[in-house]
Amino acid sequence: MLQEAQVAAGGVSGADLVQVAKFLAAGLCMGIGSLGPGIGIGNVVAHALDSTARQPEMRGPLFSTMIIGCAFVETTAIYALLVSIILLFVAK
Amino acid sequence: MGAEWGKIIDFNWTLVINLLQFAVLLVLLRWLLWKPAVKYIDKRRELIASRMAAAKTSEEKAGELVVEREAALATAKKESVAILEEARERAEKSFEDAKRRAKEEADRILADARSQMEHERDRMLADLKAQYAEMVVLGTERVLSREVRVEDHRRLLDQLLAELDEVALDGVKEKR
Amino acid sequence: MREQLGRLLEHLGQKEVATWHIGGFAIQVDPKTIVLSTIASILVLVLALFLRRALRQPIEEKPNRTQGALDIAMDLLDSQLLGNFSSPGFGARMLPFIGTLFLYILASNWLSLLPGLEAPTADPNVTIGLALLVLVMSHYYLVRTKGVRGLGKEYFSPWWLSPIKILSELVARPLSHGFRLFGNVFAEFVLVTIFLAKLEPFVVPIGLRAIFGIGFGLIQAFVFTILTVAYINLAIEKH
Repeated sequence: MLQEAQVAAGGVSGADLVQVAKFLAAGLCMGIGSLGPGIGIGNVVAHALDSTARQPEMRGPLFSTMIIGCAFVETTAIYALLVSIILLFVAK
Repeated sequence: MGAEWGKIIDFNWTLVINLLQFAVLLVLLRWLLWKPAVKYIDKRRELIASRMAAAKTSEEKAGELVVEREAALATAKKESVAILEEARERAEKSFEDAKRRAKEEADRILADARSQMEHERDRMLADLKAQYAEMVVLGTERVLSREVRVEDHRRLLDQLLAELDEVALDGVKEKR
Repeated sequence: MREQLGRLLEHLGQKEVATWHIGGFAIQVDPKTIVLSTIASILVLVLALFLRRALRQPIEEKPNRTQGALDIAMDLLDSQLLGNFSSPGFGARMLPFIGTLFLYILASNWLSLLPGLEAPTADPNVTIGLALLVLVMSHYYLVRTKGVRGLGKEYFSPWWLSPIKILSELVARPLSHGFRLFGNVFAEFVLVTIFLAKLEPFVVPIGLRAIFGIGFGLIQAFVFTILTVAYINLAIEKH
């Protein structure tokens, strides 16, 4: 049994494991990192829509404010994306 | 100058070169686009403002005209009502006049007729009295077969006449 | 086309870096990015020259088509971007910078729609450079409106908060500002490249690029510009 596993893993080197870890980490980073901003942007847009429904004449200012809020909320997702990019394309 | 593959997030002098390029673009666009754009927007805004002002004044004028017209209409209405009232009053007055005149006429005619009638009756009564007297005298002559001296029996006759008169008058009155 | 795609896919996450040796210095630049951003700038200039002709025409009773489109564009620029400045006079003063920034980024983003070209904003040098420029400008206006005392108050008002403030406003802000644009454009570029390389028989390249490119490019340009407005406005705002 142990021998079989060793034989099966024979072709796997340390560099391969690093590669696997990089891809896994990048995927996890992006996936978990975009959970919070996703919920946050959902909240922002929902409330912006609420306010727009209540006061349609405020649509223009609300839209710009909503975009700014979305951008702030998005920041963590951007950091996650940056880390993912570094993991995938930069880290050796 | 050799090109080799580097990592995507490597920072190098491209940053500075791009900023310089952006600065040049900014200067060029400020001169080429934004100055005329601001001028254009200002001109348009002025045009729109002048149009708005013109529209406002014309609207005000129209409002004044409407007010004036309404006032004119109101006065005209009042006048027409007054005219109608006057006409009605005049008509009533003339009607009343005509009525009054007709009544006066009728009254006058009636009064005329009555006075004429009375006059007639008086005349008739006087005639009757004369005839009575004559007839009495004739009857008495015949009864006494002699001439009655008027002077002697004047008193008696008068008395008789008065009595007769009363009877005749009573009869006439009853007849009426 | 196929060869180019294969090359892009093989070198995904890499870029060509040229090195100049001037004296003892080794100056590294990305020639492709510089060429692409120059093309974008030239496109913006051409647009400006085209618009200039429309702007120079006398205003008539009824505006012609270009003038009408320009009116709408200027209205949008005024209401959506410059209207966010707390003082309207300042918004009018910032019009050239904000407008040029928006046009430049929009042209850069939409450059990927043209076959064979890529968006220069997929290079972090461009976006981080612009973000740093915005950082410098916001501090310039901060000092101009509130003085050096205002600057000190901004960072050392409660002294124990200053490390966090310095970290968040001087490091994290330009980083997130620049990398937001870069990350979105680059991720779109990676996505489209992989799609095109792997699914080439099934998708029309131009169509796919257009689907991803037009909306993404516009939104990202708008977001970058409105964040610029927000940061500068935060700097000049009176509390």
